[in-house]
Amino acid sequence: MLAYLLLLVPLPPLGGFLLLALDPYRLDRRPVLALSLAAGIAPLVLFLPLAIAYFTGAVGDMIAPAFTLNFGQYEVALAMQLDPLSAIGASTVTVVASCVMIYAADYMSGARVADLRRFFALMNLFQAGMLSMVLAADSIVFFLGWELMGLCSFFLISYNMTSPRAFAAGQKAFVMTRIADAALLAGLLLLFLEATSVRMDELIPAGLAAEESRAAIIAVLLLVGALGKSAQLPFQTWLPTAMAGPTPVSALLHSATMVAAGAVLLARFAPLIEATPGVAAATAIAGVATALFGALCAIAQTDVKRLLAYSSISQIGYMLLAVGMGAPGVAMAHFVIHAFFKSLLFMAAGVLSHAGGGSTAIEKLRGTAYVAPISFATYTVGAAALAGFPILSAGWWSKEAILGAAVEAGPFGQFLWLVALGGAALTGVYAYRPVLCALRKPLHDAPKGHESWLAVAPLIFLAIMSVLGGYLVEPIIHEMGGHAPHAGLGIEVMGALAAITGLIGSVAVTFIPSWNARIKRARRLRAGMQMDAIYYAFLVRPYRRIVRLLSGRDGRLGKHIGEGPEAQEGGMGDPVGTATVVFGLWLARVVTAPFMPDRFDTVIMRGAREAQRAGLWTRRLQSGRLRDYALGFALGLGVLVILGWGMTWG
Amino acid sequence: MGLSLQILLPFFGGLAVLFAPRFGRDYERYGTIAVMALTLLVLIFSALNGDSGRWLQLVQADWAPSFGIQVLLAMDGLSAAMLAISSILGIVCVFISWEVTHRSAMYHAVICWTVAAANGVFLAFDLLVFAFFWELMIIPAFLLIGLWGHGNREHAAMKFLVFNAVAGLGLLAAVFWMGATAPEITFDAFVLSEAGYSTPVQVILLLGFALAFMVKLPVPPFHAWLPDAHTQAPTAGSILLAGLLLKTGAYGLFRFPPLLFPEGLMAVAPYGMALGAFGVVYGAILACGQVDAKRLIAYTSIAHMSIVLMGVCGGVHFALAGAGVEMIAHAFSSSALFLLIGALQHRTGTRDLRELGGLQKTAPAFATSFAVFFAAALAMPGTANFLGEALVITGMFQVNWAFAAIALVSLVVSVVYATRLIGAIVFGKPKSETAVFEDLKPYELWPIIALGAGTIVFGLFPQVLIGWLRPAIDAALLPLGVGAP
Repeated sequence: MLAYLLLLVPLPPLGGFLLLALDPYRLDRRPVLALSLAAGIAPLVLFLPLAIAYFTGAVGDMIAPAFTLNFGQYEVALAMQLDPLSAIGASTVTVVASCVMIYAADYMSGARVADLRRFFALMNLFQAGMLSMVLAADSIVFFLGWELMGLCSFFLISYNMTSPRAFAAGQKAFVMTRIADAALLAGLLLLFLEATSVRMDELIPAGLAAEESRAAIIAVLLLVGALGKSAQLPFQTWLPTAMAGPTPVSALLHSATMVAAGAVLLARFAPLIEATPGVAAATAIAGVATALFGALCAIAQTDVKRLLAYSSISQIGYMLLAVGMGAPGVAMAHFVIHAFFKSLLFMAAGVLSHAGGGSTAIEKLRGTAYVAPISFATYTVGAAALAGFPILSAGWWSKEAILGAAVEAGPFGQFLWLVALGGAALTGVYAYRPVLCALRKPLHDAPKGHESWLAVAPLIFLAIMSVLGGYLVEPIIHEMGGHAPHAGLGIEVMGALAAITGLIGSVAVTFIPSWNARIKRARRLRAGMQMDAIYYAFLVRPYRRIVRLLSGRDGRLGKHIGEGPEAQEGGMGDPVGTATVVFGLWLARVVTAPFMPDRFDTVIMRGAREAQRAGLWTRRLQSGRLRDYALGFALGLGVLVILGWGMTWG
Repeated sequence: MGLSLQILLPFFGGLAVLFAPRFGRDYERYGTIAVMALTLLVLIFSALNGDSGRWLQLVQADWAPSFGIQVLLAMDGLSAAMLAISSILGIVCVFISWEVTHRSAMYHAVICWTVAAANGVFLAFDLLVFAFFWELMIIPAFLLIGLWGHGNREHAAMKFLVFNAVAGLGLLAAVFWMGATAPEITFDAFVLSEAGYSTPVQVILLLGFALAFMVKLPVPPFHAWLPDAHTQAPTAGSILLAGLLLKTGAYGLFRFPPLLFPEGLMAVAPYGMALGAFGVVYGAILACGQVDAKRLIAYTSIAHMSIVLMGVCGGVHFALAGAGVEMIAHAFSSSALFLLIGALQHRTGTRDLRELGGLQKTAPAFATSFAVFFAAALAMPGTANFLGEALVITGMFQVNWAFAAIALVSLVVSVVYATRLIGAIVFGKPKSETAVFEDLKPYELWPIIALGAGTIVFGLFPQVLIGWLRPAIDAALLPLGVGAP
């Protein structure tokens, strides 16, 4: 019976979404906030007892079936499950999402009621999507949640609906992630065909039993799905632009949900990834390359939100590295810790930038440490966790585990470890930059601002988790069935040295004017190595050209005859359809041509005169009123039908 | 008798509606609603009292025995679903045409006759009667576009007429040939299905049938009539076109080629799938380039109906189930989109995407409804549209991976055009045309709610739908020599 509690977990946010979106009661500001908060925190209340019972061993793995579809011999059973991965994932999601919702209630308080309603409706739907994905025991619910997040991310990123920039950002995020989603769908469908079932516990063995080439293709498709959602190379470009969304959106998207969902996907299907060494290696390489790339780009950022966006890209790269090294438990440990400190960083940065006058530029944060001391302090804790400050921060423990897993994985892993270590040092360089900047004396007038308790309370909680979370790392890895890597003291010291090097580097780039100026000049790096421009030039623009050509909007396919917007645009598009019409007209002309200088014309003309006379008489029937014609037509038809019917009686 | 009522009720109802205005204002509207509701009730009654075998209801009686013409009407779950859609859409059309006053009685009579003819197509298994209804269906739709359309309506109506009438010749010729060469003259589809034609003959006959079906569907390169017809038709016309007329093409493909020409279908299926794959991509790309909202949706219809063609030609259980689901899903979602664009045009006088925008501020109910069908248009999981596409793609993976890959591409492109559509209409700042915009009225909102509920309920609980379609799917697979999986 307890299992059915699982099915209830995603329902409150879903209900909150429905109520807010359909809005039957014309709710005002306070009810909207109350409803969405209740709907957002209810999953935590529902899931916490389950999670505690599960982790203490009071209950074991369980599956709660929702309902079953029947496609002939294929049974499609929709269900939710409690296993180590879903327990860890859902606990993290519920905790972090609750914090974000509380923070958002304060952050969004200035918005119009209609916008507020829309915002919280989508946030609730987003939560429901992530929860159903994490808890899914079958690929259908999994993909449903996965796609719901994509849809909500589109609407949330383009929350500011009057801004074309925000819309473009949302569209870009949606299209880029949909490319990966198509790959994921293909992978899941192929697995389904292998397993003749959608249940996770049957999909994975079936994938393992599949013939080698097919298993490899499935693994690659799943990997691509994860790369897209997690904004890993080469899909990373949508994430920095997605910063057009409000801060709570970023805090939710980047920490425990959407972006991190790729890591959950890979952890879920880790056996399939590991079964194909090439794909596992590709996962690790993609992860480590993205980790390094993200860190490099983050250093060059001048905007704190974009800096955090690149840090997400980079940190999830570490999770992929762990999965590729065959340690999904370690990846999940980093997922949990990262969820805590990343949501903390975004939310604290939101408060700080409000205090600094509303701009998210790092330079504008100067002096905010003295105005919003609690947010600053919590931000510092979060930054330390991000940079992996040795021993004291939770981030250090999870990152050390990843680095250790890489070292243990043989020479290939040790090479990746070296790159990852470099990435870790770079992480320090960018992580502390906003902290140091906020400490400096303000350039002009002192920033004003305040911290409301509603906003600060979740920050304090998350800051505590970002420190004490270190104690969770080893239990999580054990829970997931892995072992905590112990790569030796030397490796750990190296990791600590990298983190400290990062801190020193960060001080250097902030306070040494020439270094600081060098960062400001690094325009190419700031634009993410201009991957965006490359994609635009080689993918978007050619596509748009094809579209414009085929739809006739560049006028190269002939002039449009007639009126309407397409004629204003100047061209006649649709070459295939037009060709059919042209061919048809030509055919008609060719067929009728021999009869044109008509030999029988005279004969027919005589007949025509007779016909005309008859016509003069029948003209009376032609009243010109369509109604009469239709009546005649219909009556005739009716008589025919009745006659026909009559014959059947015989 | 129950089945013939599905045709006779709307037909004579349409006649009665012509005279309804003489008795009172708006009586033609109430009359049409009553006729459609009655038809729907009769349908529900006869479906509930149906047999459990292959057919829920079967009516067979001689009509003109010397010519071998019969009244042979049969209904299974697929027909029942299509009949239900036609009655429901008939009611929707009345609701959303509440402000049509020009020749109002005739207008509603034409709606009834369209439904009557389409119902005939969904029921007839005497091929000559089927062909008769097939041709008959064109006339009311032609009138609807030509008399109550917008702008360049005569041109659009003529294009519609010529395309469909010419294509209908293929069907007619094939039917006549089959009837005439039968040992004893007959047009009974079940008898003819055992005629044992050789494969080349089957292919030729199939092409005749397929021409009619593919023009109605429509699949490139036979689609040129659709964008014009959709744009110039009145809202009710667009809804009937998208929800009903296109579905007759899909229904025909689903029903007759596997029954009559199994070997022929097997022979040409790869080409059919290739054509469908081409149509999916071509329709989707062209949809991205339109500036007229209705044209854009028309091209998405082409893409989605091409998926149906792929599914039917797939010849495996999943593909056919997907084709069936996609048919029904698209009937709901595209009618709803046309309804919304119709409301938009009625209020602003334009469908030009560049002149619209900002409706989230001025019309929240419109914006919310639009967002729902936006999700359906891009095949969001949880909508019936996704179920249809995913099933077809699954089937394609069993048949040919290349076609599956192309269908997957359409999933990505659909996001591009769908976001473009919603971005131009709902997002942005209100422009001069949309600054003052009356939100959806109850009589527009209720049809939207009904169609939205259908899309989502069938998307989340497809069991009912699949259950209805099962007998038809199994029957379509049986002659192909493919058992249930």
